[in-house]
Amino acid sequence: MPAASAHHERPPFWRNTNVLKWGVQILTLAAVVAAFWFLVSQAKTNLDDKGIPVGYDWLNDPANIQLGEGIDTVPDTMGRALWSGMVNTLRVAVLGIIASTILGIVLGIARLSNNWLAQKIASVYVETIRNIPVLVQILLWGVIVASLPELTADPGEKRWFFASQKGISLPRVFYADGFYQFVALLLVLAIPIWFVRRYLKRKQELEGGEQHVGSVTFGLFVLAAIIAWFANPIMAWPRGVFHAIEDAWAEIPQSVMQLILTVIAVAGAAWWIKRFLDSRRTPAGLAKLIDDDYFRMIFAVVGALAFVFVVWVLWPGLSSWIINSGSDFWGWLGDKFGGDRGSRPLDGMRPTVTEGGRFVNYAPTGWTLTPAFAALFFGLTFYTASFIAEIVRGGIMAVPQGQNEAAAALGLSRGQALRKVVLPQAFRIVMPPLGNQYLNITKNSSLGIAVAFSEVVQVGQTLYNKNNQTLAMYSIFMVFFLVCSLTISGVVNYINNKLKIVER
Amino acid sequence: MTTTNSMTDVHNGLTDELRARNDIIECRGVDKWFGDFQALRGVDLLVKDREVMVVLGPSGSGKSTLIRCINRLEVHQGGDIIVDGVELTNDLRNIDKIRSEVGMVFQQFNLFPHLTVLDNITLAPIWVRKKAKKEAEQKAHELLERVGIPEQANKFPGQLSGGQQQRVAIARSLAMEPRVMLFDEPTSALDPEMISEVLDVMKDLANGGMTMICVTHEMGFAREVADRIVFMEDGRVVEIGTPNQFFTDPKSDRTKLFLSQIL
Amino acid sequence: MGATMDGPIHVPQDGDAEALDYTKAAPPEEPVTPPGRWVKENLFSSTSNTIQTVIFGGLLLVLLRFVLNLVFSEENNWAAVATNVRLLMSYNYPAEQYVRIWFTVGALAAAAGLSMAAWQLHPRISVRRIGVNLLGTGGVLIVMGILTPGATPSSIRIGMLVIGAALLVIGAGLLFGTEDPHLKHVSFTAVLLTISGLIIAFLWLFPLGKYLFIDGEAIQEDGTVSATTKGPWTVTILILLASLFVGRAIGKAIGGTRPLRLAMGVWWVIGPAFLIFLVLRDPEFDWDYVLKVDLPLALAFGLGGGALLYALTKPTFADQARAVGAVLMGFAIFNWVAAFFGWYAMLQKVRFSFLALALFALAAPTFAGEKSARLRFAGMWLGLVAVGHWLITGINTPSTLDITAPPFLGGFVLTVSIAYYVMLASFPLGILLALARTSRMPIFRVLSTIYIEFVRGIPLITVLFFFSIMLNLFLPNGMAVSELAAVFTGYTVFSAAYMAENIRGGLQSVRKGQYEASDALGLTGVQRTGLIVLPQALRVSIPNLVGQAIATFKETSLIAIVGGFDLLRIADKTIPAQTAFIGQKRVGLLFICVVYWAFSYSMSRASRNLEVKLGVGQAR
Repeated sequence: MPAASAHHERPPFWRNTNVLKWGVQILTLAAVVAAFWFLVSQAKTNLDDKGIPVGYDWLNDPANIQLGEGIDTVPDTMGRALWSGMVNTLRVAVLGIIASTILGIVLGIARLSNNWLAQKIASVYVETIRNIPVLVQILLWGVIVASLPELTADPGEKRWFFASQKGISLPRVFYADGFYQFVALLLVLAIPIWFVRRYLKRKQELEGGEQHVGSVTFGLFVLAAIIAWFANPIMAWPRGVFHAIEDAWAEIPQSVMQLILTVIAVAGAAWWIKRFLDSRRTPAGLAKLIDDDYFRMIFAVVGALAFVFVVWVLWPGLSSWIINSGSDFWGWLGDKFGGDRGSRPLDGMRPTVTEGGRFVNYAPTGWTLTPAFAALFFGLTFYTASFIAEIVRGGIMAVPQGQNEAAAALGLSRGQALRKVVLPQAFRIVMPPLGNQYLNITKNSSLGIAVAFSEVVQVGQTLYNKNNQTLAMYSIFMVFFLVCSLTISGVVNYINNKLKIVER
Repeated sequence: MTTTNSMTDVHNGLTDELRARNDIIECRGVDKWFGDFQALRGVDLLVKDREVMVVLGPSGSGKSTLIRCINRLEVHQGGDIIVDGVELTNDLRNIDKIRSEVGMVFQQFNLFPHLTVLDNITLAPIWVRKKAKKEAEQKAHELLERVGIPEQANKFPGQLSGGQQQRVAIARSLAMEPRVMLFDEPTSALDPEMISEVLDVMKDLANGGMTMICVTHEMGFAREVADRIVFMEDGRVVEIGTPNQFFTDPKSDRTKLFLSQIL
Repeated sequence: MGATMDGPIHVPQDGDAEALDYTKAAPPEEPVTPPGRWVKENLFSSTSNTIQTVIFGGLLLVLLRFVLNLVFSEENNWAAVATNVRLLMSYNYPAEQYVRIWFTVGALAAAAGLSMAAWQLHPRISVRRIGVNLLGTGGVLIVMGILTPGATPSSIRIGMLVIGAALLVIGAGLLFGTEDPHLKHVSFTAVLLTISGLIIAFLWLFPLGKYLFIDGEAIQEDGTVSATTKGPWTVTILILLASLFVGRAIGKAIGGTRPLRLAMGVWWVIGPAFLIFLVLRDPEFDWDYVLKVDLPLALAFGLGGGALLYALTKPTFADQARAVGAVLMGFAIFNWVAAFFGWYAMLQKVRFSFLALALFALAAPTFAGEKSARLRFAGMWLGLVAVGHWLITGINTPSTLDITAPPFLGGFVLTVSIAYYVMLASFPLGILLALARTSRMPIFRVLSTIYIEFVRGIPLITVLFFFSIMLNLFLPNGMAVSELAAVFTGYTVFSAAYMAENIRGGLQSVRKGQYEASDALGLTGVQRTGLIVLPQALRVSIPNLVGQAIATFKETSLIAIVGGFDLLRIADKTIPAQTAFIGQKRVGLLFICVVYWAFSYSMSRASRNLEVKLGVGQAR
């Protein structure tokens, strides 16, 4: 029964909700883009007036600076200096994350302890430390480390532990020549272990009974590690393989790499749109798409096209950069195997004073926390631990009391209940805010600048004070920190998703 | 369009007196999708002035979606909806006009918890109808009197019982002096002892000559108050008729099945 | 059931209704257990408990000894802090103008007292809580007195022991001397009066000594603190108490605290600007210019704009208002573009005024109504013009103060001002970003998400550096901002992203039904957001926003790195450079630790009380 043909009146555009909705959005987008473009071009003009070219060529200029510590304390180029600073940032961030997590968990559990003293000490710690700015704490630690005794040991003297104005030194374990061979052999040996594990699991499912899957796997793994420790020189052959791959990578022409990247981008967008349309398909045909859906598809296409534009026109060097660094990577990996390398995977050494009152940083003579590093590390760790303690406490308290009671009813002790029932559940609640704290440590490591720790912002600042390349330098900072953020949130999301699947 | 004897003819069950009145709401072939799910499939409906129409049907049959489309809380994607001569289109002015002429009462009341009962009722008259505050408050007190809770004016919604909240919600809609009232399962979220107080208000409203469309499961109310009953299933209007026809002599098998399940 | 399903907040918040007794929300306190049983239950109930007691007891001793060593080390010269208190608080503010500082402190105290009365902050405090706190403090003092290192002056050691013992006795007397101490309550007023009395007595009677600089020479005299310190502080405390009682009296007289709350709310937004720019900065107005240019301009905008807005808010003039608003907006934007290209000269103030007028005109249909509503809207415009024009003129006028460094603010005053204004300025920005991020419009969502995630991914210090170095590079020739203003802008931009995330949490807690009900009533999008959604969302966000305020206050210390003379910079750089106190970094840092801690901790305590009062925590 066809309805009488309706007489649709088109409303004037200033009253049409669709036109208004999209008009406002597009105008805003245009305004933002225009303002951005204008500001950047203004900055470029201003910089040109001062005779400062905008670009990244200066990364290859000689640096002429000395860093306090790091993988390269006298870097050749500015790029190398920045890289060294980035490694320092990551070093303090990773160590801070590990230490503050441990301390935070201990404090968080102590706050819920039935022991009054433990509870009080933990809550006083949390309430004190988290209410004092981290920067003040870092500076205070700097002052405390500086007031340690002078380093009086003679050159060549070895000790287990030094704490002095020059820093805090501990024995150190480091990878030696055979490390990569060791890991490779371990991976090879892990394959049969995996099969044994699968076999045992099946057996347990089919026949029942205790097959000791976990302990057998662990025992075999230890055995494999012992074998690999001594037998790793047999893994010398990857050297040739990796160097062959290195040569093969270097042979790829730039245009082929550009083509590959284009295909990846276009295929990715096409795959995404297809998946999207599939999700909207019904037995009766394609469902009506709303303007949001069109926007998403347009966004995918525009994104892919923009990437292609970058690859071919804006930055053709990207492809050759990928080729070169890929090739370099395989070469670097190849060098880790065979040759005339030793076979010990790990080695250790006590701190040694090399000359009167000085350590050599970053040589295999013990692990030295320089005063700057120690101040930053202690400040970040103790500060962040107070927040992690609160997160852990909140997570445990969010687990329903019934879980504890059920565990007690099953005859588990308090400790067992905590380990086996409460903590696994609390972990899920704790994960996202914990990830935020890890991010905060990484970002706060930039406060190292206040104690002259050579992290990326401090190095960068020293460099742009020399050559005025502030704009480019800040773009590097931002990309670096954004990559760190994305990595951390990616890992946290991954773990979270894993936990959700386990839950089912 | 000539009258046919089909079970879904929009004129079915109209008395001559109703037939002579103006059309207030007219739906023609209304379609609505949620993603890949089609909630309404070519719905035709005609509501006359001062008519009380009750919409019945199993859950998920599109009843709520239909009345939400009439209020443009949902945007229909096919067909036409005309309310009091105004077609629902993208025209901002039409939407504003319809919103202030069509009142709606929700299953969950949706009172504003941060405002007192009085402020809940006077908010829209002041900000939408641009009335003076004094005038709006006077009107609000009258309405509270009418729904039977004049003493609760300065309380907050959280301090009222469910039945009282729903009556405030009705008063809030009436304060806009709408031509049509839509009720979306107004008693479903209530404890049994509170249902009748809300239904009484609705009956009172119907007797006062308000045009109403009610989605409800209260069969007694439907039988007593409705001019016509619409039965929906799977997003289609299956049957339209007077309460008498509907309960005693249902035409379609689906209606019979539905009635046998609930009565 | 249905009654509690409606929204996340059910407890009425406006005190005018005074419907619920909030004190009921606090959990009942437990009665006092005898000491012997308490020790057994809490410290030695089981083997693991005993082991924990031993481990944590040892840890406590080590930690306390470490902290006491830091505080009472022989290397510390606490006179460095005592002599420099004025520097730490207000940096180089000229001593002869110090009455301005005291006026500001007094005004803030009065406002604080009135606000306490307006929001009815008077918790009941049980005798048990007082007793336990006294016992705890006394115990810690005695342990500290025993553990404190040899370098500690014996007067301090004995003082700790004596005061500790006294507190122990009083606490024990309160706990075990009164019957049912957990049921007896002391009024807030009594506690406040006692504490105030103790502070005043301490200031006037305790021989802290006088520390002062005379011609760069640090001088120390015996006696109580100097009269220029204890006098004003005593007056300040008295003002606080008096205004609290006055506020309560006003509340009683007019039968409700709502008007007072409204007034105090407005004061906390405008007042600090008044104190900073008019009282502390004391602009040296060029009255001739003010009378010839500034005043006529303000009058023209205020009255002309007011009349226009009054006309446009007529309910039937909605279309005209939108048209006029659009034209004005176009003109305002054109003015800014012209400014960037330097096409024609125009006072910055005029540009701002046109922009504000355009926004008001666009909002006119929303605020349309009968006469009183229209007059209120026009009045709002007049107030905005008055405050805005005065502020811009005030900021652009040179100060009468004789200060060498350009920023007239420093020390604690700078720390607090920056934190306060960053929060205030990032608030509207954060709301806009949060609304955009939760909007149904995809481009807004994408833009806002990019902004928020981008800013949240980078450290504050890089943002501050970037703005302090680069902001002027982005501006066209002839336009410039001071370094402090640039840092402030950067901090605001940074803070807004976090603010947006906090508010977004509140927005997501507003049920869909609230939007639908507003739409069904015919409210416009702006009205729905402003009247229904935001009031509910912000109330839910309060705990997070206070958390952010604390974080902002703490992170203000970062401006020390980019060159501001705040509390940290003075303790870390200025004092150790004075010839009298070379290298005395540690005492200064320890002192500012205490200052920062005291403020952050009391803010977080206050927010917890506020949560209980607003019933935020108990939702659901």
